[in-house]
Amino acid sequence: MTRPDAPEEGGAGEAARELRDGLAKIGAEFRASLAEASDEPSLRERNARWVGPGGALTRLMKLMPKVPSGERRDLGKQINALKTEVNEAFEHALVALERAAREAELAATPLDVTLPGRDVRAGRLHPITRVRYELLDIFGALGFDVADGPEIDLHENCFDKLGFPADHPATDMQDTFYITREELGASATTLLRTHTSTIQIREMLRREPPLAIVAPGAVYRRDDDATHSPMFFQIEGFLVDEDVSFSELKGVLTLFARRLFDAEVSLRFRPSYFPFVEPGGEVDVSCVFCRAWERDAARTAACGVCKGTGWIEILGCGMIHPTVFRNVGYDAERYTGFAFGMGLDRIAMLKYGVPNIRLLYENDVRFLSGF
Amino acid sequence: MRASYNWLRELSGVDAPADEIADKLTGAGLEVEGVERLGEGLEGVVVAEVRGVRPHPHRDRLRLVRVFDGAGEHEVVCGAPNVPDAGGRVLLARLGATLPGGLEIAERDLGGVVSRGMLCSEVELGIGADAAGIVVLGPHDAGAPGDAATDALRLRDVVFEIGLTPNRPDCLGHVGLARELALLYGRTLVLPAAQAPAALVEEGDALLAAGPARFALPLAAPPAGRVGPRVEAVRPAARGPAVEVEIRDAERCPRYGAALVLGVTSGPSPLWVRYRLHCLGIRAISNLVDATNLVLMERGHPIHGFDLDKVRGRKIVVRAAADGERMATLDDVERTLTADDLLICDGEGPVAVAGVMGGADSEMGEGTRDVLIECAYFDPRSVRRTSRRLGLHTEASHRFERGVDPSAVRAVLARAATLLAELGGGAVVPDGLDVVARSIEAPSVVLCHARMARLLGVEVPPAFTRRVLEGIGCEVLDDAAAAIEVRVPSHRPDLAMEADLIEEVARIYGYDRVPTAVPRVRPSKDGTPVSIRFDRRLREAAAAGAGLTEAITYAFVAPGALEAARVSTQAVPLHNPLSEERSVMRTSLLPGLLEAAAVTRRREPVSVQLFELGTVFAPGDGALPIERPMFAWLLAGPRPGWIGTDGALDFYDGKGRLEGTLRALGAFTPELRLDPAIEQLAPFLHPRRAARIALGGRDLGVLGEVHPDVCGALGLDARAVYGELDVAGLEAATRALGVAQARALPRYPAAVRDIAMVVREGHAVGEIMDALRDAGGALVERIELFDRYQGEHVPDGHVSLAFHVVYRDPQATLTDKRVDAAHAKLGATAEARFEARLRA
Ligand SMILES: [Zn+2]
Repeated sequence: MTRPDAPEEGGAGEAARELRDGLAKIGAEFRASLAEASDEPSLRERNARWVGPGGALTRLMKLMPKVPSGERRDLGKQINALKTEVNEAFEHALVALERAAREAELAATPLDVTLPGRDVRAGRLHPITRVRYELLDIFGALGFDVADGPEIDLHENCFDKLGFPADHPATDMQDTFYITREELGASATTLLRTHTSTIQIREMLRREPPLAIVAPGAVYRRDDDATHSPMFFQIEGFLVDEDVSFSELKGVLTLFARRLFDAEVSLRFRPSYFPFVEPGGEVDVSCVFCRAWERDAARTAACGVCKGTGWIEILGCGMIHPTVFRNVGYDAERYTGFAFGMGLDRIAMLKYGVPNIRLLYENDVRFLSGF
Repeated sequence: MRASYNWLRELSGVDAPADEIADKLTGAGLEVEGVERLGEGLEGVVVAEVRGVRPHPHRDRLRLVRVFDGAGEHEVVCGAPNVPDAGGRVLLARLGATLPGGLEIAERDLGGVVSRGMLCSEVELGIGADAAGIVVLGPHDAGAPGDAATDALRLRDVVFEIGLTPNRPDCLGHVGLARELALLYGRTLVLPAAQAPAALVEEGDALLAAGPARFALPLAAPPAGRVGPRVEAVRPAARGPAVEVEIRDAERCPRYGAALVLGVTSGPSPLWVRYRLHCLGIRAISNLVDATNLVLMERGHPIHGFDLDKVRGRKIVVRAAADGERMATLDDVERTLTADDLLICDGEGPVAVAGVMGGADSEMGEGTRDVLIECAYFDPRSVRRTSRRLGLHTEASHRFERGVDPSAVRAVLARAATLLAELGGGAVVPDGLDVVARSIEAPSVVLCHARMARLLGVEVPPAFTRRVLEGIGCEVLDDAAAAIEVRVPSHRPDLAMEADLIEEVARIYGYDRVPTAVPRVRPSKDGTPVSIRFDRRLREAAAAGAGLTEAITYAFVAPGALEAARVSTQAVPLHNPLSEERSVMRTSLLPGLLEAAAVTRRREPVSVQLFELGTVFAPGDGALPIERPMFAWLLAGPRPGWIGTDGALDFYDGKGRLEGTLRALGAFTPELRLDPAIEQLAPFLHPRRAARIALGGRDLGVLGEVHPDVCGALGLDARAVYGELDVAGLEAATRALGVAQARALPRYPAAVRDIAMVVREGHAVGEIMDALRDAGGALVERIELFDRYQGEHVPDGHVSLAFHVVYRDPQATLTDKRVDAAHAKLGATAEARFEARLRA
């Protein structure tokens, strides 16, 4: 806002005096005033009293046109000098205030660092899945491909082609859930696969050697008690080529077990029976709970997991039976191979110390979040 | 199979510690799953002789028994009804003894009389199942007064619990196990010579050609001389007509043998028999029944004893049942049979289901005088079918369905007849019957040494191989440098080809001795299918990208759960489910996830944020049902905040999980469409809070709050949000999207303007944003909703929205003038299209 200038004559000397007095007054007061400010807003407010739009210095400058022209130059210089002084003092006070504030903060009550972090809350994979991927990685690094197959399959793929004799108690080893009636005859009978060996048959029917495949998946058996779940997970592995030997089966499984448990575990191979392998066996791994390979007899004796034996059964395996090769149209004279299968549930329970298989399928979020 | 350490030692001649034997058996594939030591706690128990019995002065039911324990006489108080007269021998627990059950024997005042010791029953000593009276030793039992019971009566044993695989029927008896043991210790098994009826009539193979055999042999006069110790042969003629055996079904009954033991007396077995059976987990019944059980456990070959007087017509007929034919089995159940079942009949009707269970009518009992012993070979598959059909799994069927030794019939009969006569005090008719209707040949097999070495990865010395094959009972037919040919033994029905023999050699050689070789894996040309790799990407995206935790639920559910969850009830049913609860294959992942949430929240009302990648099933036209992998997620409960919770999880959390998962998979955003048909498409969702999910223009799933009725029906206490996607479709969409390509960062600055408006509720924000974007044209880089408000200052039924609009020209710095012009169009569009009232 501008006001019309006052007449130059008559009040000129007075204006110059007023200006000079004003400058002297400001010069005497502004430092104390700025120094009194205790925070930034009050500092700014005080600063505005001198150099703001309605401030004292601004008001004085409006007197300039009334000042006799002979004095204007000198007074102008003085005003500018004072303005610079005020600004500098203001900047100085501002810096001092900031420093004081920072020092106060550095000396303030510390943060409560025990308050919870702001979590990004990633979810967790199921322990069976974690084990599954770990196994796939290990076998993948050994050169095995991954395959899968349907959960409901033909009796043929689950039993007949694997060399289970009809009406033989070997089928009792795997109490089966049927989908269609058994009486329809083996070829039309469908069932929930009792093992992932169905994938071995399917892949061998589909592909030619050399083959190195692992196949994880859900399998089903009519068992439901403290140690059995009617649905569980297996991984099947098999390798078919010319001149594959039992020695190599031992080699693959030994490498696998050492990588899985990340320890110098030993394996113990015991003969056993599965219709689709011969020689067939079961494999025990040295107990990872009492670290049986370190041969601390007292620790092993007290171990509840291996019951003092130092061994834990982890899988079944063997050389693929010539009958299986014939059933899938492979030349049993030319090719040999090995196969193995293990429960992912069991591995997960061993690896993560899961005490009860039911925990794996109950899906209590509090359990699942623990991995 | 329970096996007695003592018995195995007797039969095999191997005298090694029990633990070592257990390890050896396990190492040879006969897994010893448990070792039980019996006879501990019997240290203070001795044989004692009764010297006198007198009544208790105050108690009617107690008596005072004076016994001599070798050192002196003691008076003990006894309540048993069977205290023998003076001279009888009993088992005395001396003062200071602690019985297996933990009972400490001390001086006890019983009705005013101090008892100095205790006369014990089988149950108290842990040596049998008889608790009715005290143990009274019979004439067969050893032991003089003062002898330690464990030593005199051999009441100490170790029992191996052996987990036999179904291919080893030969080891279902102690003789078979002893054969293995002898081989493992490098010995030759020598069984004691059979004490047997001397002459069994051999019937020729001519019967084979003749088909079902009909056969009657008079039981001939015994040869001169005794058959076995303490056995007298009698002339059957003195007791009536001959016994006749007729096989009408040679297919299912290739061989049937019979022997007669006459003049037996039923009674309790001697203690050694009772104890042995007890160790093996078999209840002692009577000397006659115990004898058949003991032979079963020794030879692994089931035999059956008929009371000859109850065999009507003195005739045995082996034939197929008629459809619907009925008979009562020993367990007092009336069974209905089919033409696929084989029966043992007498002259008038069925007396046993062949190989499975005898009948109640011809059972041996207290009054039995003459016994007909059956020892047969039945077709394993036939026995198995019958056993399964009747739901009858017996010691006999267990062995027959695995395959007993067809050529052992005579030896087993001889052993049974001898033992029965010995225990029952009868006499064996030396001429038995051995009717062969179909001969079963053991195959001959060639084992090539080089092929075995190639398969095993180790060269086994041919001499070792031969020793193993002979040790398991093979007859060597030809032993050349390159290969050995053998006839496999008839007790090993599992051996038929070279691989079978290689396994035999390998298991005795020891799997652990086979060296370990570094495998060589040649890559196959197919590799791992993309879909399998995608499963893993998806799981990891859901966990890492969306904070969801993985559940694995059962693939079978209750039909009622499908109905309650309002998902498809066109399910694949199981033919033989364990229970109604798990009787059909799931058609959706919803019931399982809801149940998981409900289970957790019943225990603790925590936040549930689950996903599952699993198969759903539907009936199909082909041989197999349709299997479809689905990805689903479910949220329920509080939304976790920084401190405490931040409201309840809702639809937008569900949408956020979808977006997070997809972003982790490939940086694309889903289209969510409100669909008036959602009630038909997904009746399990809230009709006003649900949407279809499309990707790349294809419908792939649904997302919404679960219908409150569904939550209620499945027992979930909270609101739930559920979404599902078809995995194959998702994989295809991801693949179509390709690999995200790098974009250069903009070189010119953006200008941000805000636009705020009040619109009527019901306009979708997405539509408004689309319209604004269109209005702004190419300069609009993106629009972000930053405030949404309803309440004070906003009229009812309206909502206040505020957006940041980011303008950018990739080629130049924007001028205010250009931005103002574009921004004005946005405002005008909002007003025109949505009747928006713009706010400053
Ligand atoms: Zn251990």
